Amino acid sequence: MIPLSFYLILSAAFFSIGVIGVLTRRNAIIVFMCIEMMLNAVNLSFIAFASFFGDSSGQVFVFFVMAVAAAEVAIGLAIIIALFRNKLTINIDEINILKW
Amino acid sequence: MDKLGNILHSLNFFYPEIALTLTFFILLLVDLFFRKSKHLLPVLSLIGYVITGYFSFTTPNASGFLFSTGMANVGLYITDSFAFYFKLIILLSLIYTVLFSILSKEINESTENRGEYYALLASFGLGMFLLTSSTDLITIYLAFEMVSLSSYILAGFTRKVPRSAEASLKYIIFGAVASGVMIYGISILYGLTGTTNIYLINFYLANQNYNTLTLVIAGLMIIGGFGFKISMAPFHFWTPDVYEGAPITITAVLSVASKAAGFAILIRFLKVAFVDYAATNLQASLWAILPGFQWNDILAVLSVLTMTLGNLAALWQNNLKRMLAYSSIAHAGYMLSGFVILDNQGILAILIYFAIYLFMNLGAFFIVMLISDKLGSEDIDDYTGLGYKAPFLTVSLTIFLVSLTGIPPTAGFIAKLYLFAALVNTGWLWLALVGVVNSVISLYYYMRVVKNMFLRESISTYEQKIELGHVLISFSLLIPTLVFGVYFKPLIELAEKSIRIFGF
Amino acid sequence: MNIEIVAFAILATIGIASAILLVLQKNPVYSALLLILHFMALAGLYLLLNAQFIAVLQILVYAGAIMVLFVFVIMLLNLQNEQALVDNFNIRKIVSFILGVVLFLQFAVFFLVKAKNDIDIKKSPDSIDAGSIQNIGEALFTTYLIPFEIASFLLLVAIIGSIFLAKRKIE
Repeated sequence: MIPLSFYLILSAAFFSIGVIGVLTRRNAIIVFMCIEMMLNAVNLSFIAFASFFGDSSGQVFVFFVMAVAAAEVAIGLAIIIALFRNKLTINIDEINILKW
Repeated sequence: MDKLGNILHSLNFFYPEIALTLTFFILLLVDLFFRKSKHLLPVLSLIGYVITGYFSFTTPNASGFLFSTGMANVGLYITDSFAFYFKLIILLSLIYTVLFSILSKEINESTENRGEYYALLASFGLGMFLLTSSTDLITIYLAFEMVSLSSYILAGFTRKVPRSAEASLKYIIFGAVASGVMIYGISILYGLTGTTNIYLINFYLANQNYNTLTLVIAGLMIIGGFGFKISMAPFHFWTPDVYEGAPITITAVLSVASKAAGFAILIRFLKVAFVDYAATNLQASLWAILPGFQWNDILAVLSVLTMTLGNLAALWQNNLKRMLAYSSIAHAGYMLSGFVILDNQGILAILIYFAIYLFMNLGAFFIVMLISDKLGSEDIDDYTGLGYKAPFLTVSLTIFLVSLTGIPPTAGFIAKLYLFAALVNTGWLWLALVGVVNSVISLYYYMRVVKNMFLRESISTYEQKIELGHVLISFSLLIPTLVFGVYFKPLIELAEKSIRIFGF
Repeated sequence: MNIEIVAFAILATIGIASAILLVLQKNPVYSALLLILHFMALAGLYLLLNAQFIAVLQILVYAGAIMVLFVFVIMLLNLQNEQALVDNFNIRKIVSFILGVVLFLQFAVFFLVKAKNDIDIKKSPDSIDAGSIQNIGEALFTTYLIPFEIASFLLLVAIIGSIFLAKRKIE
């Protein structure tokens, strides 16, 4: 049987790759994909805990995280479209009327 | 009690939230049919908020948890006097924001979408109401996200202004990362205790041995998420950009209401989850922290960092909105220092500070809004000599800025006095000194505005006709700012009634 | 060798590989496809953990809905390739990379060594039941009814907000 810590380390790996992606990539769409990856890493660790506890509240939490992630992506992509209409770029480095 | 009966019973205490939800739907529907009418939507929102306020006053405090989860008699939600106080602050700032929006040129020029604007303001309010009363990490997370999502959209509301869309993008990227970090912390905490209810978490933490490091990492990640809302360093980077880019009415409500909700949940979470019930001395109002980690040390560092960074950065700003953004970071730092004490005296000081901060900060933003609508600029250099052209507005702005600095006889002085007195009383002398030094630094950049307005020759061709609405709203903010500076007893009494968090 | 371990190893490898490639990829469309692969691997891991309902949702919501949204926006905006990540390696990227690795090592060491005794519990026998649709449905519509309603309200706000922000006419 696979110990819980394997799942947790895998989840930490996904989370860290997501963080690296958010910090290094400049394309706003890919930044959002990396944020999705971070949220999924969290879901993995929730499910792992929930399954080892035999408790359904962790899985319910994952359900809500998915709903929120969907909402967040929808709004994020809408903002990207609005911004693209104004500036014709979604590179975060070129978006600099306001100082970063 | 069976599950359905429990839910129905809980709904009796849920009227304010239901009223806000209905306001949201009514605004959306009315906007579909009566697009022409200019004042209908704000008036309807005001009515909705007043009804919400009425229900907040008349709904009794629940003697137990609402929406019980059936395990060990805990629930998802609680209405206690602590939440009530913050709900009042949130409601007041929402009402003022609607009043500002009626007068704001920025909002009225985008005539077609005002329905969405007022409806999202209501959902923003609903999210904050839920956040102040949540006692379960699930409800906390969802309420947190409702506040965030509504404010992302509102920050980008004036779509044709490029800086507004940009502010919104920066806000959502920072916000999504912060909430990702927070939820990772929550998952670790869930893994340690096997529950998501903060009262049960406290119970398990008190009765079992845990690895301290695990707990500290999880706690810090969650505090980081809440810290994003109150723009606590090092999670404050979004604040200046978003405050500068967003429409100024939204900046005003973000700087007061969403900070209030963030503080409410930060205090509730730390106090409920990490305080040792058994060892807490209620007479001395001191909280005993669960063994393992002294949260006040890390909070003290964060507080000093927040106020110092905010004040130092504010010194270099030329845009008044951006300067007020940094000043609001600094104020979050002051308030956080009250929390460092981890006792009721500190919480009392925070509550008092918030009520006063509401009036003085909203007032400053209101005057800046009125001037920049006419002037077309928020640049401090463009304010040169305005003191002689618009005496009423500039004098009011001066009073608000003096109060933000904390000079008597304004209310800002009382707020800082209570805060620093609480710090000194409990032996945090060095932190009080840092706060005083920071206030002195802040004097420089606030007074630079005043100096520009009054002590320089005018260069602009500025003309302003004062309208009755401007005067009335300014006075309704000016009077509390001045009166609470000399007669503050009712405020203190209200705050003293409100420091009790359910279960303590 | 246990089939569970084999499955875990394969899924974990796919997950990590697709995640790393996603970050390195310069064409956003490829990144989107790799993200689908990543989500599929996660759904497999959820099945290993007896979370059947969530595994199905993972495919439906993420691979089905969210990714279509991503691909649509990429097509709508018609973007050129970003410069490849490796081509312009500057200080900030190196620093963020190191930061990420440190973050991971910190968690790994911490889960493996420090907190091992706390978290290495036996898998509960209830876990098969806990992940079933009946159990989750019951929890969602009784105990967690209010969060469920809040989530539905949240989705409504998101719908209104994204239609408002993305609609074409700017008066």
